Amino acid sequence: MADKLHPVIERAGREMADGQMGRRDFLRIATLLGVSASTAYGMAGLSAPALAQGAPKMGGTVRLGMRVQDISSPHTYSWIEASNCARQTIEYLTETGIDNITRPNLIEKWEASPDLKSWTLHVRKDVTWRKGRKFTADDVVWNLTRVLDPKTGSSVVGLLKGFILDEYETGEKDDKGVAKKSTRLWDASAIQKIDDFTVKMTGKVPNLAIPESLFHYPLHICDPEEGGKFGVGANGTGAFEIVEHEVGKRTLCVARKSGYWGKGPFLDRFEVIDLGDDAAAQISALASKQVDMIYQGAIATLPTVERLPHVQVNSVVGGYTAVARVHSIKPFDDKRVRQALRHSLDTEALLKGAHAGLGSPGEHHHVAPTHPEYANIGFMKRDVAKAKALLAEAGYPNGIDTEIVCRPSPDWELRAVNIMVEQWKEAGIRVKINVMPSTQYWDNWTKVPFGFTTWAHRPLGIMVLGLAYRSGASWNESRWSNPEFDKLLAEAEGYLDVEKRRAVTAKMEQIMLDDGPAVIPLWRAIFNYTDKKIKGYKIHPSVYIEAREMWIEA
Amino acid sequence: MLRYATKQLINMLLTLFAVSFLVFILNEWAPGDVASKLLGPYATQDQVDKLNEAMGLNRSVLIRYFEYMGNALTGDLGQSLVYRQPVADVLADRLGATLKLAMISFAVIVPLSVVLGVLAGMRESSLADRAISLFSYVTASIPEFAMAVFLIAIFVVGLGALPGTSPMRADSGWPIWSQYVMPVMVVTFYDAGYLISMIRSSMVDVMRQPYIRTAALKGMSFTQVVGKHALRNALITPFTVIMLQLNYLVSGLVVVETIFAYPGFGRLMLEAALAKDIAVVEAGALIAVAVTMLTQLFGDLGYMRLDPRIRV
Repeated sequence: MADKLHPVIERAGREMADGQMGRRDFLRIATLLGVSASTAYGMAGLSAPALAQGAPKMGGTVRLGMRVQDISSPHTYSWIEASNCARQTIEYLTETGIDNITRPNLIEKWEASPDLKSWTLHVRKDVTWRKGRKFTADDVVWNLTRVLDPKTGSSVVGLLKGFILDEYETGEKDDKGVAKKSTRLWDASAIQKIDDFTVKMTGKVPNLAIPESLFHYPLHICDPEEGGKFGVGANGTGAFEIVEHEVGKRTLCVARKSGYWGKGPFLDRFEVIDLGDDAAAQISALASKQVDMIYQGAIATLPTVERLPHVQVNSVVGGYTAVARVHSIKPFDDKRVRQALRHSLDTEALLKGAHAGLGSPGEHHHVAPTHPEYANIGFMKRDVAKAKALLAEAGYPNGIDTEIVCRPSPDWELRAVNIMVEQWKEAGIRVKINVMPSTQYWDNWTKVPFGFTTWAHRPLGIMVLGLAYRSGASWNESRWSNPEFDKLLAEAEGYLDVEKRRAVTAKMEQIMLDDGPAVIPLWRAIFNYTDKKIKGYKIHPSVYIEAREMWIEA
Repeated sequence: MLRYATKQLINMLLTLFAVSFLVFILNEWAPGDVASKLLGPYATQDQVDKLNEAMGLNRSVLIRYFEYMGNALTGDLGQSLVYRQPVADVLADRLGATLKLAMISFAVIVPLSVVLGVLAGMRESSLADRAISLFSYVTASIPEFAMAVFLIAIFVVGLGALPGTSPMRADSGWPIWSQYVMPVMVVTFYDAGYLISMIRSSMVDVMRQPYIRTAALKGMSFTQVVGKHALRNALITPFTVIMLQLNYLVSGLVVVETIFAYPGFGRLMLEAALAKDIAVVEAGALIAVAVTMLTQLFGDLGYMRLDPRIRV
């Protein structure tokens, strides 16, 4: 380590030595601040995870069963499936691995200023585009500027708005006479080319998660000469070239012949085959070896797949869940009724019954055990008597009658709701189930008084709390508002080191158990299926699929 | 006859107009906003507004309907939101695939049903009749999805003898012809059972007629009686039903196409409806209605030729 260490790392290192900070947390902080992953693993006294399963063999094809969508505009992708078709060809600046550690990819390293407001990205000097041009800082600046331009319509805007964009009124008014708003970079030099291989991003507030944001799946690095369009024959820095693409049918990528900067590719071809949404088709295709892997498994197909001798089930637990949450209206305006909802559930039984035991039982506060700042404040066991007593205290000695709205798919959600309803019934909470088609649910998800909503994995617990439970947040579907919680949340967001954040998180978790609007049945494992001949693959918590790491062993 | 056909064609055009309007309006009322669906969960309101404006979705539904119909009449069916291709291209491809599957199924179902139905009906209550009737009742009463799962368990998972999906690609490890076997088998079992019992009961009725007895009494062999006198008359009633099967085979194969991942018209329509891909839904609905009405028309015309008692 010739370079000077970032002050936060020095402090984190001391805390780790004192035993205050876990080694995993140290790793995450250190790598986010620009220490290379292998160095960080060394500093933490851990060995880097061994991905290798013997020596890679060259050649062969992997066929992935996944929806094949329109991929013409990478910066506006809103589906991970689309990015999985494109990521073999167009890459990312960074890469968050299956271990939740972010590593450099098209940039060789990054540095953060002590106040975490400016980030210097050092572009790799050994990268060439497939069509021969050298990859430089200009390419990075063009892509970053483009995704942050509101005209592009990229979801990166929502992600980095607080850091680097200003909202302003356009001067136009909509039909209702409300002034229209748009966004622009907060400062002309917010994204700046320093030299041919250095780019600097400067934000208005500190942001620790910039390297992770650079791996947000629409932030593909495209060739500026192609104007943000992508498709067959498109240029890319990646290990594969896309040679065929037909929406609803298939995508075909062939290995780049020469000049790929990284390890691999080992495969000759990587193919995506669209099998539709029917889970039975996916299993049939896998059984008759028409595909070698399935993007994501379903609970209903698991028992069948476990009987196919050539197929392996891969799974990883993250922060994926679904939340049964209530608005503070009668009878849920009394926090004792909300508590009764939680006390009457057996989340271990829910995990077994609704998700085949894959994952971990929910703890009714939205911070998952895999989140770095997770605080263990004790597991809430089922206590029906207590739930009944709480209801009686709140003035409902004969229980309550209500209705929950949920979606029919994915299948585990409806199963979970059914089991919860059975368990609630024993405590005198009689709930009718209203199953709404998904599209209709997403039109109403913040409006229904009692609903069951899916939430994706996010790397930090406070990110979820900020999105879903802060007073007035646009995704605060329960309209819950607790001033003390808001205060603690703001405090937690100001702490870089995990231990301090964990202490505050423990308080927030307690508030959620006591006053919160939500019931969290389980943390679900994400799982998928691969043919045992595929080596070098491990499932990513966000189900990103990289073909460059795979090889075939017959 | 010409007047009848013209009248029916005019009728069809009016129906098509009514259907096109209903589909457009119903889609408008269905939940979900196209722009926010396309942009995904992180989109800001500003982005949604811009896209709505770019796609012209902020205008009233009537204006958009007349614009769509105006274009459609000049042959421009619009652009698919999901496929980002002209609707005509998407539809032609998928409709072609479904027609192939439908024709193969039809070519198997009709001869099979006629042979089995006649065999069963010509000697009522014989062993052959009982066996064939039992078979047709059982297959007709099992829904397609259950039949598919059942056959997949035997031939794909159990024996490994057939491919479980039919993406219609030669490089999927199975020859193209083998990919037709499972879907055609499911459709045939489901559909033939119904046709067989139709033909059988019609045959039974005919065989009870006095002229059949007369023919037998004047010394004709049983084969001649069946072939010359019974067959034609027994097929008049089932003819319309057979024509109606074409209609089912073109627009009713959703379940089979979905289970076997067959890139056909039914699956396309289902997915377009879920994604609010209005241009595809509109064009597809019009095609489905036209197919229904045309098969009906041909059915009527054919019926007249077969049965001299009917004249328009």
